[in-house]
Amino acid sequence: MTQQDTGTVLDRIIEGVREDFEERRASVSLQQLQRAAGEQTPALDAEAALRGADPASVQVIAEVKRSSPSKGALAEISDPAQLAAAYERGGASAISVLTERRRFGGSLADLDAVRRAVGIPVLRKDFVVEEYQVWEARAHGADLVLLIVAALDDAALARLLELTHHLGMHALVETHTEEEIDRAVAVGARIIGVNTRNLKTLDVDVNTFGRLARRLPREAVVVAESGVVGEDQIRLYAGHGANAVLAGEALVTAEDPAQQISRFREVGALARAEHLAGATPPAAQEEYAAQQAAAPAADPRPGDESLRHAPGPYFGDFGGRWMPESLVAALDELTETFEKARTDEDFLAEFTALSRDYSGRPSLLTEAERFGAELGVRVFLKREDLNHTGSHKINNVLGQALLARRMGKTRLIAETGAGQHGVATATAAALFGMECCVYMGEEDTRRQALNVARMRLLGAEVVAVTNGSRTLKDAINEALRDWVASVDTTHYLLGTAAGPHPFPAMVRYFHEQIGEEARAQILEQAGRLPDAVTACVGGGSNAIGIFHGFLDDASVELYGNEAGGDGVSTGRHAATISLGRPGVLHGAKTFLMQDTDGQTVESHSISAGLDYPAVGPEHSYLHSIGRVKYEAVTDEQAMDAFRLLCRTEGIIPAIESSHALAGAREVAARWVAELGPEAAAEKIIVVSLSGRGDKDVATAAEWFDMLPDDSHEERVAQKGEQL
Amino acid sequence: MSTTGAPETAPDATPSTGLAERILPRGLRRDEESRLARRIEDCRAQGRPALVGYLPAGYPTVEQSVAAAVALGKNGADVIEIGIPYSDPVMDGPVIQAATTEALANGFHVSDVFTVVRAVAEQTDAVPVVMTYWNPVLQTGVAEFARRLSEAGGAGIITPDLIPDEAGEWFAASEEHGLDRIFLVAPSTTRERMDMTVQAASGFVYAVSVMGVTGARDRVSSAAEDVVARARAAGAPRVCVGLGVSTREHVLEIGAYADGVIVGTALVRALGEGGPEAVGRLAAELAGRAG
Repeated sequence: MTQQDTGTVLDRIIEGVREDFEERRASVSLQQLQRAAGEQTPALDAEAALRGADPASVQVIAEVKRSSPSKGALAEISDPAQLAAAYERGGASAISVLTERRRFGGSLADLDAVRRAVGIPVLRKDFVVEEYQVWEARAHGADLVLLIVAALDDAALARLLELTHHLGMHALVETHTEEEIDRAVAVGARIIGVNTRNLKTLDVDVNTFGRLARRLPREAVVVAESGVVGEDQIRLYAGHGANAVLAGEALVTAEDPAQQISRFREVGALARAEHLAGATPPAAQEEYAAQQAAAPAADPRPGDESLRHAPGPYFGDFGGRWMPESLVAALDELTETFEKARTDEDFLAEFTALSRDYSGRPSLLTEAERFGAELGVRVFLKREDLNHTGSHKINNVLGQALLARRMGKTRLIAETGAGQHGVATATAAALFGMECCVYMGEEDTRRQALNVARMRLLGAEVVAVTNGSRTLKDAINEALRDWVASVDTTHYLLGTAAGPHPFPAMVRYFHEQIGEEARAQILEQAGRLPDAVTACVGGGSNAIGIFHGFLDDASVELYGNEAGGDGVSTGRHAATISLGRPGVLHGAKTFLMQDTDGQTVESHSISAGLDYPAVGPEHSYLHSIGRVKYEAVTDEQAMDAFRLLCRTEGIIPAIESSHALAGAREVAARWVAELGPEAAAEKIIVVSLSGRGDKDVATAAEWFDMLPDDSHEERVAQKGEQL
Repeated sequence: MSTTGAPETAPDATPSTGLAERILPRGLRRDEESRLARRIEDCRAQGRPALVGYLPAGYPTVEQSVAAAVALGKNGADVIEIGIPYSDPVMDGPVIQAATTEALANGFHVSDVFTVVRAVAEQTDAVPVVMTYWNPVLQTGVAEFARRLSEAGGAGIITPDLIPDEAGEWFAASEEHGLDRIFLVAPSTTRERMDMTVQAASGFVYAVSVMGVTGARDRVSSAAEDVVARARAAGAPRVCVGLGVSTREHVLEIGAYADGVIVGTALVRALGEGGPEAVGRLAAELAGRAG
């Protein structure tokens, strides 16, 4: 008896596995297998492949799996070989092929097909209890076999491992408990897997990995298994020291598996670097990764509940009011005033009239034919750049200024990054005859000197903030400090759909018209809904406004484009959702760029308006349920899209909005590749053109090297570049 | 409508009992015999206010901050608040901001706070508590942070940006590890929030004397006495006053109506200018021990 009685689901599976291979043994003898194994090309070095050349890298074992006992049928895999080849192209270091038939729908034929299709190590994933199966694996060209410690006694484990090594293969020795790790180490396992699925309950607890990782020997290659529903679990496992991660369902169900693997490797490497530097993943991150793994995005909402008009204070687990008590009364007063106003016809009439007669709403929806032709799809631009003051910001500012007047406040304060929100607030203050003070990071006052002058022309005081990183987040800190001391007379006119309740829901409310107009306009102009909507996301106010119109239209894909700066792997970026962790900043629980201690990390982007290390909590929620995809766009991609729009449409976009244009370009490129040019040409993308680019002319001219040497503008722009 | 000053009745006649019931866990306990509570009661028995001193951990270095906190404890502080330097301290004025920024630049890690707490607990008679913005606690894990704080000899946490409304995890962890929950109340706090926050708090209630951030001020706002009176009316057994307190005169003035007096910025400035000895001298002066 080599097999252990485990008292779990394993026993029944192995019973079936034994019956199946006894049947095979009746037609293919061990001697035949041994001969076939001898004729195979030698096994590839899976240990080296999974360790990786760079110690800070994380390898992906991509799994070809047709179904599983815990999930049922997963996806129609018509061609395992093609899928495996795509995994290899995407950067997988090994392919795992489930060969168990009864529960997982696998076969040795799948193994053969994959073996022929790829040049990287192949793992035969099955329930190995007899030498016959190890020979079988080698005879079919496998480089790796799975040995499940729980299913084997010490003698069998040692014997099977020795045979595996003798045949030049490696074994992924899978463990679930500390005791099993000790047993694996005792028999000399070189590649140790930690499976986070509890064999008795079949539940996944991703935190198992961190608990067990401490016990693993340094020299072993450590593989994390199970629970990977997305990047969050990869980050967690790599942050606890995994060399490699086995991913199955997350890849089978991904739209673009190759892209998913490269993302996994990217986020994995960043997390592993932190591990190597001695850090461990923070508790809030572990909790989030565990929640996501326990309740994957498949069924986020009961029934067909609408996602629109979410009232706050919470959006799923995000949002809330993490604020000093001193400000709570003011937030309560604001909430109450807003709730009354939104059902007050006088207020609504006033807001609508101002939006129409002062800002120029509704903003146009313009088909960008030449730009679209370059991308290979139809593109429509939602022209928030045509609003008074040149961006969407005015919508929210007019709404909040009306509320401030209702509350009897006589002074407006605001933070600003690029200056757009500051200019809009100074504009509203002038229009309403209020005092205005705008806080702006010192670095930003230099990057956006013209906007500083605009605010001063409008009568606002501009305070250059010299604390911290001297950018948007520090401007918010300083505005909050002002507000605590001046709350009697002052309204803090927060510029984005972030911060404590009621700001996220309230700011979104004032921007909902962007999405409502866009939806009606595209139906009118194109006769149907778009296939995708893209918008840039810093704090995310224009994005939440335009998404709102389409949240309940399941056929419309929504993309939030974050600032990827120099590239997400460089650390110099502002891709908060793509690479951040849940935490609390500026009054809300949301995704943040922070270190493992919870200290905010400085963000970086060529666009001052996206240069913010947090994001509105509703975006964090929409990300957590998978309704909106958040993708990072680098400075370079954004500037290329900026130039393309200038040259093809005669529209100079804000650099912020150029991130949405670049995002549309990525989506279009995927469609062209997948569907072919003809089908792609029928697809429609609506892009939120949130602002105009006049303010960015100096930065862009410098980027494209269009300024005469040593001109004043060049000196100014270079200063901006150095920041 | 003014948001400062105490509305006599809750706006719009929201039933004032609802808030505490809605927010606080059923059966939340307040340990009247905790170390912190007893220390303040002892001071009261001696006819003087408790002296509560604040210093940030890791400023200018972890070693120096240990020396400074110990000097503070040996020269008359009854309670010592050890602050966790944080990247976004929205309730702090320039002096404390500069100090905590320096601590972070010098490599402060959140786990260093337990070193300072332990030193205070082992080397002085003062009761150590931690003062922190919430994200560092959240990232450590609320239960884990509470466990380590308790193990290091800490008595509780002062939470400038955590209100009872968001404190679900903290209620559970503080009860499990026997830590006090020191919430803040302000001149703008409404009556129903005062009732709720006083019920949520233990050890003492931290009364913010002024609408503003930390920083030494020439005069302590007259709003302070009113906040203390309202906290007492809501049932707070112990109320300490902070923000703007910097001299022995302030201590005496506030001590006439509050159970404790909290000094921060003045001590941080002393540490920056004259090192741990200067902290000791100022503490002795504030405690009325100096000649």
